[in-house]
Amino acid sequence: MAFEYELPDVGEGVAEGEIVAWHVTVGDHVDEDEVLADVETDKAIVDLPSPVAGTITELHAEEGEVVDVGSVVVTIEPDEEDETAGDDRSAEAADNETAAEQETAADESEDAEETAVPSGRVFAPPNVRRLARELGVDITAVDGSGPSGRITEDDVRAAAESEEESEPERKSAVSKRSDSEEGTERKSAVSKRSDSKERKSAVSKRSDSETKSAVSKRSQETESDTQTAEPAARERTAAVPATRKLAREKGVDIDEVPTEKSRDGDPFVEPEDIETYLQAQEAGETAVEADADTATDATTGETARQPVSREPYRGIRRTIGEQMQRSASTIPHATHHDTAVVPELVETRAELKERAAERGVDLTYLPFLLKAVVAGLKAHPVMNTELAEDDEEIIYKEYYNIGIAVATDAGLMVPVVEDVDNKGLVELAREIADLVDRARSREIDREEMQGGTFTVTNFGAIGGEYATPIINKPETGILGIGELTERPVVEDGEVVARHTLPVSLSIDHRVIDGAEAAQFTNTVIEYLENPSILLLE
Amino acid sequence: MVVGDVTTGTDVLVIGGGPGGYVATIRAGQLDLDVTLVEMDAYGGTCLNHGCIPSKALISATDIAHDAGDAEEMGIYADPAVDMQGMIGWKDKLVTRLTKGVESLCNGAGATLIEGRAEFAGENTARIVQDGEGQGSESIEFEHAIIATGSAPIEIPNFEFDGERILSSRDALALDHVPESMLVVGGGYIGMELATVYQKLGCDITILEQLPDALPAYEEDVTEVVRERAESLGITFEFGQTAKNWEETEDGLVVRTENDDGDFEEFEGEMCLVAVGRRAVTETLNLDAAGIERNGGAIKTDDRARTNHDHIFAVGDVAGEPMLAHKAFKEGEVAAEVIAGEPAALDYQAIPAAVFTDPEIGSVGMTPEEAEEAGFDPVVGQMPLRASGRALTLNEREGFVRVVADSETGFVLGGQIVGPEASELVAELALAIELGATLEDVGATIHVHPTLGEAVHEAVKGARGQSIHY
Amino acid sequence: MSATQSLTLVQAVRDGLYVEMDRDDDVIVMGEDVGENGGVFRATQGLIEEYPDRVFDTPLAESGIVGTAIGMAAYGMRPVPEIQFMGFIYPAFDQIVSHAARLRSRSNGRFSCPMVIRAPYGGGIRAPEHHSESTEAFFVHQPGLKVVVPSTPSDTKGLLTAAIRDPDPVIFLEPKLIYRAFREDVPEESYTVELGEAAIRRKGEDVSVYTWGAMTRPTMEAAEELAEEGIDCEVIDLRTLSPLDEETITESFEKTGRGVVVHEAPKSGGLAGEITATIQEELLLYQEAPINRVTGFDVPFPLYALEDYYMPEPARIKDGIRETVEF
Repeated sequence: MAFEYELPDVGEGVAEGEIVAWHVTVGDHVDEDEVLADVETDKAIVDLPSPVAGTITELHAEEGEVVDVGSVVVTIEPDEEDETAGDDRSAEAADNETAAEQETAADESEDAEETAVPSGRVFAPPNVRRLARELGVDITAVDGSGPSGRITEDDVRAAAESEEESEPERKSAVSKRSDSEEGTERKSAVSKRSDSKERKSAVSKRSDSETKSAVSKRSQETESDTQTAEPAARERTAAVPATRKLAREKGVDIDEVPTEKSRDGDPFVEPEDIETYLQAQEAGETAVEADADTATDATTGETARQPVSREPYRGIRRTIGEQMQRSASTIPHATHHDTAVVPELVETRAELKERAAERGVDLTYLPFLLKAVVAGLKAHPVMNTELAEDDEEIIYKEYYNIGIAVATDAGLMVPVVEDVDNKGLVELAREIADLVDRARSREIDREEMQGGTFTVTNFGAIGGEYATPIINKPETGILGIGELTERPVVEDGEVVARHTLPVSLSIDHRVIDGAEAAQFTNTVIEYLENPSILLLE
Repeated sequence: MVVGDVTTGTDVLVIGGGPGGYVATIRAGQLDLDVTLVEMDAYGGTCLNHGCIPSKALISATDIAHDAGDAEEMGIYADPAVDMQGMIGWKDKLVTRLTKGVESLCNGAGATLIEGRAEFAGENTARIVQDGEGQGSESIEFEHAIIATGSAPIEIPNFEFDGERILSSRDALALDHVPESMLVVGGGYIGMELATVYQKLGCDITILEQLPDALPAYEEDVTEVVRERAESLGITFEFGQTAKNWEETEDGLVVRTENDDGDFEEFEGEMCLVAVGRRAVTETLNLDAAGIERNGGAIKTDDRARTNHDHIFAVGDVAGEPMLAHKAFKEGEVAAEVIAGEPAALDYQAIPAAVFTDPEIGSVGMTPEEAEEAGFDPVVGQMPLRASGRALTLNEREGFVRVVADSETGFVLGGQIVGPEASELVAELALAIELGATLEDVGATIHVHPTLGEAVHEAVKGARGQSIHY
Repeated sequence: MSATQSLTLVQAVRDGLYVEMDRDDDVIVMGEDVGENGGVFRATQGLIEEYPDRVFDTPLAESGIVGTAIGMAAYGMRPVPEIQFMGFIYPAFDQIVSHAARLRSRSNGRFSCPMVIRAPYGGGIRAPEHHSESTEAFFVHQPGLKVVVPSTPSDTKGLLTAAIRDPDPVIFLEPKLIYRAFREDVPEESYTVELGEAAIRRKGEDVSVYTWGAMTRPTMEAAEELAEEGIDCEVIDLRTLSPLDEETITESFEKTGRGVVVHEAPKSGGLAGEITATIQEELLLYQEAPINRVTGFDVPFPLYALEDYYMPEPARIKDGIRETVEF
């Protein structure tokens, strides 16, 4: 009877392993516990010992192949005497398999519960045989105390009692499976709700508190965290659908909004109640931040000594805020600062400015910058990437769309100049001017602000040297440009005044290392300092 | 009849109302299950209508006539006349009474009875077709199904049953006259029983058997007694003969055979009964629609009578050998009990069997040879019936009772009885085996005197070396 | 505990008729094939043998069947005419809405029309056109009629008995898909199940699911499956569609705040709209999501190749409930 060895859970809930190396080939004889292969998991390389002594008849995976836990990796023809030992081991291995196998495992345990009919002669009357089946006793294993060794009812009952000791072992294996089952894929709609606590009902009686994380945290924790507006804690609230909608938009749990009114015997909430509650909440927070001893007005949280004005946190401001938060909280940023000494750049631009003007274009430094950046990206492709987290892939972009951060009245916008590598300085200048104009006048389309592979932010236009820009997700790098002005520089041992351009590069350290960041910066600076090289690109 | 197809739902669908089916139906009804029984021919199946019951009726009736005419030794002079049609008429009446009884028992158990042929349409659905009546079909959705479609006589090449010259056992139980002569292809229990009946009725029987002996399922010393009696009745045995083809003659037929040496022989007779065995009936069921697996011709089942689907069972002849009605009864009961959630199983220790020849054969459990092969050290007690007082009063001298037991423990392992009432006597030994009784247990039990049952008692005591009367 | 018998739904119809005919000599059974043939679904099997002068076969003329019954009813009998399939009721529609429904109001109470029109209704039996209708809305819309739809054998006998005893016309729609689908213990004696009372088949906290007839079983199946996903459905089998048991409907919705109506009839003009309107009239302030309608489509009932797509089945019902719950 061939023994099919399925890859066991090699530790800590790992779902697959890579066969790094086989230690046996077909035809080899192995002893019990002899190592069959090296298997690499997420954590380390582990041994795969043989559960039986026998001869290898088939290997089911090649070196380098990744195998799922529970799939057969090797078939062994066990040695005669060891067959039962192998069966026990395989039963154990089966018990320890992942929850993915739970269905077949459940079938196995069901079959085990139904006592098989022995194939040889059994010396016991029919009622005793039936009793054995009822109690799940294997009658062939019972010693008979009746005449000539006949098995009696008492014999079966005694056997049933002694078997109970070994049953808990079996039961615990079963519960292990169900434990892991609960831990992994429960299709409960609980996961759809933002509330990560276990809920018996998947239906949220409160209004949807999914998106507005800051506010929802407040509403989820039922212990009041402010000393001011006490949230109500109701099971049910009467409110027209429009009011419920408002509550949802504001991220407020309608069952917590205090109200004095009622309709049909249930507390009734209107929009004004929600506004009042919200204001109370915010005031409560600022009150907590302030001096704790200060007695504040219970309802509004404002005092004469600490006047405030309020502005709703919404719209573009909020969108920008959320994007920044997402980027900053998921990307490990590292920054690299450097300075380009650019008198040549200044000269070159001055030379070309007039010609550009003839073509109706105001030639700034930005087009040069973009070209230098693209040159850098081509030389260091890792700077022009995207980390696709779900697919676990680093995507190297082979096109160059550079976003340009623009400050507008409404906030920061990043229109994207496409295919920078294929455009000349004049074209770039023209396009940049157009994009910036339309961004400022809010005429720009959403699509024009998408599809970027790298971003440049020129805060130097306003002033300053170095900064730590936040990466425009899903890109992996952003270059901040400081003010181009004369600064002291050392040349031939003497301090002189030269035009310099500070650059600040932030990178996604999951994808790019400091060394690469420095190299990229060096390349960009080289092009900035020697603009004629740009002609080669 | 109705426009559209209104599906009927049921807990248990039983297909076939023979011994396996009707017993399952009644047991299921006793266990409060909602049962629907579908039968396409007659309730009671082959056993009641074309097998066990009719054959035993004819055997008993024939024996009365024969024995009365053969009792001069006892001072009785008679020459009974037999009206075949009358006998068959009487047999038909009692069969009808029994089949009606089965129907009413099933109804009484709360089952819904439907006439038609059931076939599977899926793992939980079936269609009941009224073949030939143009009534269409209806759909059934079932939680469980019990297949009990039984078996049919095997037809050998060139010998298709026509009911006139080539008879099946079914045809042979409904003849309207006693033929002058009859060829019987097959020397198994069916062939032997019917041959004995017709020989006693005056027909000239020739048995054509492929193997070197009749009743190959039994041991030589057992079959010897029966064969010698048959020969003394006038039955001719031709062994080593394989029937090849036949030709109609003016008043009968001639059957051509090939013998062991490869030569052809010819045998003449008015009719030819072909009784070479039976095969499971599965072609009516569309088993593939439910993905039910077979084991050869029969349906594969486990020790709970289940097929490869846990909710579909097969019982009786359709589930394979031994093809005995009482095995079907047991399987039908167990299937119903398993469905009802009881811890039932096919855990019998032995199935007794009987052949209603002259004399009868009754056997259960292991022969001495089988006991040895199973690893026991058997001890045997064998009482010849000529030593039985009761047998003598029945004017019987031939036959014996043999009991096989384990010498170490004394557990009764088997019994072979050849003699009058062997079919009844074997029940005691079957009980002993099932209970795990020992020779001592049976030996210590007082048996009535004077009976044939005593012979069993004596054989048992003989196995312990304590026989008194022989 | 009185004696019971295990009956299918159609057997319960027969038993209900038989028991009530035994109790009340005025009960008449009439229709196409109901006498000699015992009904095409055997719903009246054997009745003509028991009551030969109170069971008779009619010509194939539904207007005549109902018209005659109206006359009998007006003069004190209790006829129970059968329309062989709901799809054939339309020739009798005029008699029903112009006369049966109005007799009491027209005569200021002097005449009433205590008749029960029985008709197998609904799809799922692979029938040709006209045999799968579910147009209960036509009759609910007509004041003066009651419309009753059982979903279990025990309810069938009780509701039919109550309908026969009701002094006004009742349209008794029998879900033929489940005529024989399962058995239930039904008391042998005579008993009634009150008209106008819904039955809560499953108690729950999260969403009220309203249904009736043959759709009760797939709805219950969907509810059990959703329970494993953490959605606790309350399933209400309306049993009487006119008058609606508003109390049970609203009590449930007040508790859950979310509702779904499941019926096989087409969506537009179907009773899901009526139930939705009723709920929101009373309970707008408790409503947390739109009330979802899982229904048949606004097309003539298809032939059997598409029948299974048309009738709401557990997967579609689950989707409808989830949508409401996740709003």
